[in-house]
Amino acid sequence: MLSINIFNGLVYGALLVVMSSGLALIYGLRRVVNFAHGSLYMLGAYLGYTVASHTNFWVAQVAVPLLMGLLGLALDRFAFRPLQDRDPLTVILVTFGLLLVIEDFVQTVWGKSNLSVPAPDLLNASVDLFGMSVPAYRIAVIFFGLVVAGALTLWLRYSKMGLFVRAASTEPTITSMQGVNVDRLSGLVVAVGTALAGLAGIIAAPFLSLSPSMSSDVIIDSFVVVVTGGLGSLLGAFAAALILGQVQAVGAVYLPEFATVLPYVLMMAVLLWRPAGFAGNRV
Amino acid sequence: MSYRELTNGRIAGGVAAALAAGAVVALTVTSETVLSLLTQATIFAIFALGVGILLRQNGMVSFGHAAFYGLGGYVVAILLERQLMSAEMALVAAFFGIALFAFLIGFVVVRVPGIAFGMLTLALGQMFYQVASRSRNLTGGADGINISWPDTLFGFDISLLTRQDAMFYFAWSGLVLSIGIVAALMASRFGATTEAIRDNEERARFIGIRTLLPRVLVFTLSGTVTALAGLMSAFQTAFISPESMHWSVSGTALMMVIIGGYRYLWGPALGAIAFFLSRDLVGDFAQHWLAIFGVALIVVIVFAPQGISGALARLFRRKAVARPAAAAVIHKLKERT
Repeated sequence: MLSINIFNGLVYGALLVVMSSGLALIYGLRRVVNFAHGSLYMLGAYLGYTVASHTNFWVAQVAVPLLMGLLGLALDRFAFRPLQDRDPLTVILVTFGLLLVIEDFVQTVWGKSNLSVPAPDLLNASVDLFGMSVPAYRIAVIFFGLVVAGALTLWLRYSKMGLFVRAASTEPTITSMQGVNVDRLSGLVVAVGTALAGLAGIIAAPFLSLSPSMSSDVIIDSFVVVVTGGLGSLLGAFAAALILGQVQAVGAVYLPEFATVLPYVLMMAVLLWRPAGFAGNRV
Repeated sequence: MSYRELTNGRIAGGVAAALAAGAVVALTVTSETVLSLLTQATIFAIFALGVGILLRQNGMVSFGHAAFYGLGGYVVAILLERQLMSAEMALVAAFFGIALFAFLIGFVVVRVPGIAFGMLTLALGQMFYQVASRSRNLTGGADGINISWPDTLFGFDISLLTRQDAMFYFAWSGLVLSIGIVAALMASRFGATTEAIRDNEERARFIGIRTLLPRVLVFTLSGTVTALAGLMSAFQTAFISPESMHWSVSGTALMMVIIGGYRYLWGPALGAIAFFLSRDLVGDFAQHWLAIFGVALIVVIVFAPQGISGALARLFRRKAVARPAAAAVIHKLKERT
């Protein structure tokens, strides 16, 4: 029993890795706490539903992040960039307004009933893992999480653009003095972050059902991850995502009342102990 | 007549006028549905007032005030369900208990600056939401609790509250008196102190103001007013469920504050009333209501950061009123001597 819970915790943790790395990237460069991130995830899942039902899951997995990336470019160009000199709190409220608009859009286009996306044929089987029978798709989710974490780490550590991103997340002004176009870079990073939200949506689609309420829980969990992991810090977010996945899956079975509260207690503790974690951080 | 007395006189005049206007509405509107809608709007106006105070005096944005709102209902509901005390005592205990709770928690949370405060209140609010949805024994879990009011309350027949016009006037009086009391407080030395701290905490410290306690008191006031809205809602619906503590409720209240504008104390209340009335007016589009309001929120933030109340105040401000308040006082004093 325990091992299957640990396994499910890993699956949810992997999903949170994809979700919260997008959130952390956007915060890192634009200093925007993006309340709309959960609804972008939802939009990604529903777009994935439509694309997958016309083609197949693998096409959706490529097309949805691309579409969402374009949306992210627009989001940065028409919202975050014009508002970058405004009080961060007003920008949070703008993302809250966006959340309402996107959720309504999804409900209008796809309706309120629950939808589901079948797992691709290749992964639509049960696999024997350490004596447990688990759906192959869930193993693939863990794999997707690993790929995203690995790719992002490599991109940020070893590419020139990754260097610029890291520089701009610590010192945007000095970075632009050195000749980096921080606005364009931020546009790209917001696009990547939004694409990751969409990717998380299409990854979640075959194992969580699509419903209008799917965004509200996962966004708060992602906030918990990003805050406890240190806002803007990817490595911290990865670790926090895996821990939260375990707390949710294992704790919810053995200590249900405690486990639902624990993430928030952790989040509060981090904020009280180091509120500056919001200010001093790097991608 | 001092400036202070003049201000308090104006506040008292405003309160009296608003109470009279409420009475006219309660007496002339006959439709039960309209009155019920107005009551709901008024209750949320009190909620928004609570959130607005915190933003106006402390410059802090809370994403967790629904916890205070829901606590109002839950404390009364649980005290009554377990028959621990009379309903009157339960109301008093809930009101002052939540005020004390806000005070204590304020000492911890107001130290955290900026966005971190928003996230902290979000976590706090969600914690209450989770406890309320999970503890089936205490809170009835997701089903919520019905509040069983006794037959009489403070000597009044409880059936008064099922009459829509009486309930509306009760909530309206609560709103108007709250705004009056808060306005008087903010016109006092305390209000000036908190504004100084909000604008520059460091400089306020330099001139010898202790900055923590005033900020905690503003937080307490804000939480208590919000709890009052929760208690009013417990009267109107006689029911409380975890939904009222969800973070989206806090977000909606915050949205009303921004759209109404928070520079004037009546701004958030106006925002709440505008929210409910225009939702009713859009009729067929009501299912897209939140999206419409989301767009309105963005438009207000980007193009009219002072909200509806700011725009109205600019519109109606005549030259005579535009003179500095101090000059008006001197003028008044000269007239008398």
